[in-house]
Amino acid sequence: MERFPELKYEALQVGETFVSDTKLVTPEDVEAYAFAVDDQHPWFSEDSPFGGPIAHPTILANQALALRHSKYIVRAGLHAKMEFEFLEPIRPGVRARSRGTVIDKYERRGKPYMVTEYVTEAEDGTVLVRGRFTQMLFRD
Amino acid sequence: MADTLPTLTKEISQRKIDVYSGVKPHSIHTDEAWARKKGFKAPLAQAMMSTAYVSELMTRFLGAGFVKGGTMSMVFIKPVYAGDRLTVHGVVKERRAEAGGTRVVVEVWCENQDGEKTAVGTASGLLERAGG
Repeated sequence: MERFPELKYEALQVGETFVSDTKLVTPEDVEAYAFAVDDQHPWFSEDSPFGGPIAHPTILANQALALRHSKYIVRAGLHAKMEFEFLEPIRPGVRARSRGTVIDKYERRGKPYMVTEYVTEAEDGTVLVRGRFTQMLFRD
Repeated sequence: MADTLPTLTKEISQRKIDVYSGVKPHSIHTDEAWARKKGFKAPLAQAMMSTAYVSELMTRFLGAGFVKGGTMSMVFIKPVYAGDRLTVHGVVKERRAEAGGTRVVVEVWCENQDGEKTAVGTASGLLERAGG
C-alpha cells in the first residue's frame, strides 16, 4: 500500500519527480470549467478553427498544480507563480497526464517555496502544455 | 491592432470557486472555517482562476494563435476572495517577427474592486502571417 507522508519543506528533495493519474477530459468537464471561470466562448461548445470543439487552454492546469498530492498530504499552500506554454489545443476526449520535477526550493522572508517544472501530455505522447510553477508551503 | 485590450470583468462567487476547486475539507478555497484558521478573512479563489481569465482575454484578442503557441507568465501578489470583482487588463508591449508570423507580447494584470492588483504578468500569442 502506498504511504502518503505530509509534505515537509525540509524533507523535499530538488529532483523529486511526480506523475499524475490520467484524466479523461469530457464535454461535461469543459462545461463545468466554463461555468467556473465564466467563459462561454463558442469554441468550447461548438466548432473551432482546430476542427470541432476544444477545451479552455488552462483546463488541465490543476492537474499539474496538484502533482505533489500524488506523493504527499498537503495541508495547505499558496500559489505564487505560474508559467504556461500552450503547444496544442486540448480537445474533449483526450486522456492527459502531467509529469513534474522539483527544480528548486528556497526560503524567502522566512517562508518556504518549491518550484516545479511540468509537462502535460496526451496519451499518444503529444505535449499539450508545459511550464513551471512556484508554491509556498505552510509550515504548521 | 489596438494597444489596449478590452477589459474583462469577473464576479468571483463561492459557487464558482467550489466548481473550480472541488469542495473538500481543509481547503482554503472551499472550507470557510479552515480558511479563517489559516488567517484569511474568507475563502480564497484559487490563483489559477486568474490564469483562466487572462487566457480568455488573450483568446479573444489573438484567437487560435494563443490556443496553440501562446504563453503566459503570472505572479500572484494578493489574495482574491469569494465576493470580489476582478477586472482583467492587457496592454500590448511588443511585436516581434517569428517563424510563421508575429509574436504579440501583452502585459496583463488583474485588479480587484478596490483597484488593487492581485496578479501581474505577461502573455503572448502568434498573429499568423496572412496566407501563412
